[in-house]
Amino acid sequence: MIKIENLTFGYSGAEKPALQDVKLEVGDGEFVLITGPSGGGKSSLCRCLNGLIPHFYGGKITGKVEVQGLNVVKHSTKELATKIGMIFQDPENQLVAVDVEREIAFGLENLAFPRDLIAKRMEESLDTLGISDLRYRQVHELSGGEKQKVVIASVLALHPDVLVLDEPTSELDPKGAEEVLTTLDRLNDELGITVILIEHRLDRVVHLVDRLVILHAGRLIADGTPRQVLGGGEVANIGVGIPPIIKLVRGLRGKGIGIDDTPMTVKEGRSILDSVFQNAKRAVLWEKKELDGKPIISIDKLWHAYSNGLNALKNVNLTVHEGEFVAIMGRNASGKTTLVKHINGLLKPTKGSVRVDGINTKEASIAELAQKVGFVFQNPNDHLFADTVEDEIAFTLKNLRFKSEEVASKVDEMLERFNLAPYRHQYPRSLSGGEKQRVALASVIAAHPKILILDEPTRGMEYRLKSELMDFLNGYRSQGNAVILVTHDVETVAEHADRVILLSEGKIVVDGDKREVLSKALLFSPQINRLVQAFERYGVRGDILTADEALEILE
Amino acid sequence: MISFRYQDKGTVIHKLNPFCKLLWVATIVIFALIFDSPLYILLLFLSTLPMAMVAKVWKEWASFMKFTLYICIAIIIINMLLSYHGTHVLLEAPFRLPVTGTPIITLEAIFFGVVMSVRLLAIISAFTILTFTIHPDDLMLSMIKMKLPYKSVLVTSLSTRFIPTLIDDVECISDVQRSRGLELDKGNLRQKIKSRMAIMIPLLSNSLDRTVQVSEAMESRAFGCGEKRTFYKEIGVSRMDAITLIFGLLTIAVGVFMCLSGYGDYQYYPTLEGINISGLEWPLLSLLMLLLLSVVLLAFTKGRIELD
Repeated sequence: MIKIENLTFGYSGAEKPALQDVKLEVGDGEFVLITGPSGGGKSSLCRCLNGLIPHFYGGKITGKVEVQGLNVVKHSTKELATKIGMIFQDPENQLVAVDVEREIAFGLENLAFPRDLIAKRMEESLDTLGISDLRYRQVHELSGGEKQKVVIASVLALHPDVLVLDEPTSELDPKGAEEVLTTLDRLNDELGITVILIEHRLDRVVHLVDRLVILHAGRLIADGTPRQVLGGGEVANIGVGIPPIIKLVRGLRGKGIGIDDTPMTVKEGRSILDSVFQNAKRAVLWEKKELDGKPIISIDKLWHAYSNGLNALKNVNLTVHEGEFVAIMGRNASGKTTLVKHINGLLKPTKGSVRVDGINTKEASIAELAQKVGFVFQNPNDHLFADTVEDEIAFTLKNLRFKSEEVASKVDEMLERFNLAPYRHQYPRSLSGGEKQRVALASVIAAHPKILILDEPTRGMEYRLKSELMDFLNGYRSQGNAVILVTHDVETVAEHADRVILLSEGKIVVDGDKREVLSKALLFSPQINRLVQAFERYGVRGDILTADEALEILE
Repeated sequence: MISFRYQDKGTVIHKLNPFCKLLWVATIVIFALIFDSPLYILLLFLSTLPMAMVAKVWKEWASFMKFTLYICIAIIIINMLLSYHGTHVLLEAPFRLPVTGTPIITLEAIFFGVVMSVRLLAIISAFTILTFTIHPDDLMLSMIKMKLPYKSVLVTSLSTRFIPTLIDDVECISDVQRSRGLELDKGNLRQKIKSRMAIMIPLLSNSLDRTVQVSEAMESRAFGCGEKRTFYKEIGVSRMDAITLIFGLLTIAVGVFMCLSGYGDYQYYPTLEGINISGLEWPLLSLLMLLLLSVVLLAFTKGRIELD
């Protein structure tokens, strides 16, 4: 059992405490989901549970945290390791050995367990996670999901009563994330291990958990079953990513349609919302955006082979117009990133051609193309290096040989537009995650590229930042620029893109309007679309993709 | 593309006890340092080749050797230009430098450079073969068994583990900065250094973040819990391993004895000596070569236990 009483904690040197007066009790065998906007104190709370706070990170702590009867202030992280297991975001940074077996043995060796006990625990954890086929593999050969499962196995081998996971899926692709979450559900259900999970993407987990806790600005603002919390009022305006189906129900209630229950899954939604959809308005026409822009990217019979002979792209033909918002989707290693790297010249065609605004990329340098094509990579930490935010934004402009007066005025404009003016003279790497992302984006946008490419910008991003980013991209697109988004995030695509391109094994398998591509697809359909498919018998259109669209036809 | 990570190719060398491999490398290094004779050093280098062949690490070995050859060429040129000993002058500069006098290039200086290079090649060759045939975790374990402090060994092992990650990081960050219009190869030296900073700073800061994350994960798995620590895998020493080790020690003993008896000595300056091999030296040298190769032959013997 975990008991947190009046916990207040501030990192040394911080102005505001990261956690304020938090009170929480978690019983044995519970599955608790903690969510809330970033900077709300979720990670800090987790680190209090296994004593990383205050033993690893210094600061001022008051109140009491007890795990299985042990006070974390008096017992070190190492002592707590057998009571509470901790799993972090990036599996890559949690692995210390070369072999899977030795990775799992690491914690047991630290506790000086005899070898026969280590062997027994190893078998158990490999079997529990269902990864015994990986035991002789080296960890670097594994996929992200497999790596994270090895990490969980190595923590589980210590027989903790509680598992705490700090966004364990945010570095993984959807398949890996799904595997990890299913594993957690099993550990909780079958072994009775208490699970405390931090996660932004509620639609993936909300049906698995017993309890949902929301932290906002260091305070615990909601605590209850997911039905109570997500149906209630606390979550409304703080930027929690409410699953679309629940958003729909909340919207209906707002319209005065009383719905007693709050559905957690599509299946529940089908039965709860059946009567509402029976009375749906039939005739709603979606305005289809006409493509009046000029073609700005033309890719013609593009092949790309890597030096190891692997064909990453096979005969890709694609035209993108000004003012278009294109989403490129597909499994891992399907060629998405390889394709977009051709547009700004990071990669050159092995065969075929890529023309950007009339320029053949084979004949232009990356720097020349950078004036036309802006490229924002997933991790803003890879972007930022300058001493001040101002310099960071100016860096791109100076590289592209803008005149110094122009640089100054454009920097001012960007600082204004992205609300970065107060941070002008700050060190960009010391900003928060969302601010860093804005600096990275501002530094790329400053040159006003006619094409903007973003490679998985929303991975691991909280809901509010995601919607801010999407609003910005929509505005940028409406100024006649093309926006290309590489992503796994179906819901975001459903809401914002016009056109979806699906890649598989280096080929374009589908390319078309988002309604055609995303509706009635087995795996790629957004939640609302999976819901409305059941109601086609009532004459409801089968190509509704978002909660807002569904609200339009319901009264 | 060659992967520079350890791969278990399952050859007898890969299966050989890590201590035997470490002793073999130590032998090569000691001999390369105590012998001066060009013949001895050449034979020493050649003796590493069968090991590479049996271990099937030929390709990786060759690419490392190719890189070492560049260093060798540099050694030869520098030695040639800076060493004015030797009597067979091949070229004389038409000017005088203060302190050192008229620069000359001598046959002796070139030859000395060449032999130094072979010496370096022998050492690098042995280490290359070791790197590609010893499991990194086994290497770590052997170091700990040799009473090196656990924490230092772990840190060393961790830092080598993150090298490939670091290489990926460099690639990714340079893609990012080039997309922002950074031209890495333009401009003078100062500008080039400045543009490299756009890659170095994110790289170093990301690595620092990584360090914190790794140590958090290690703390959470009871790292440094007590003074004592057990090991799931142990390096067992079978009878055949012991015999191989004895042969290894014998090799060193014979080599040191020969060196102390004045065999394998050689003078490069002022004039190159002839290579005279006296009566007893032939059988001794043959014995030494045989002992050096014994590890390859013994590796084929049965009766080895697998690591458990």
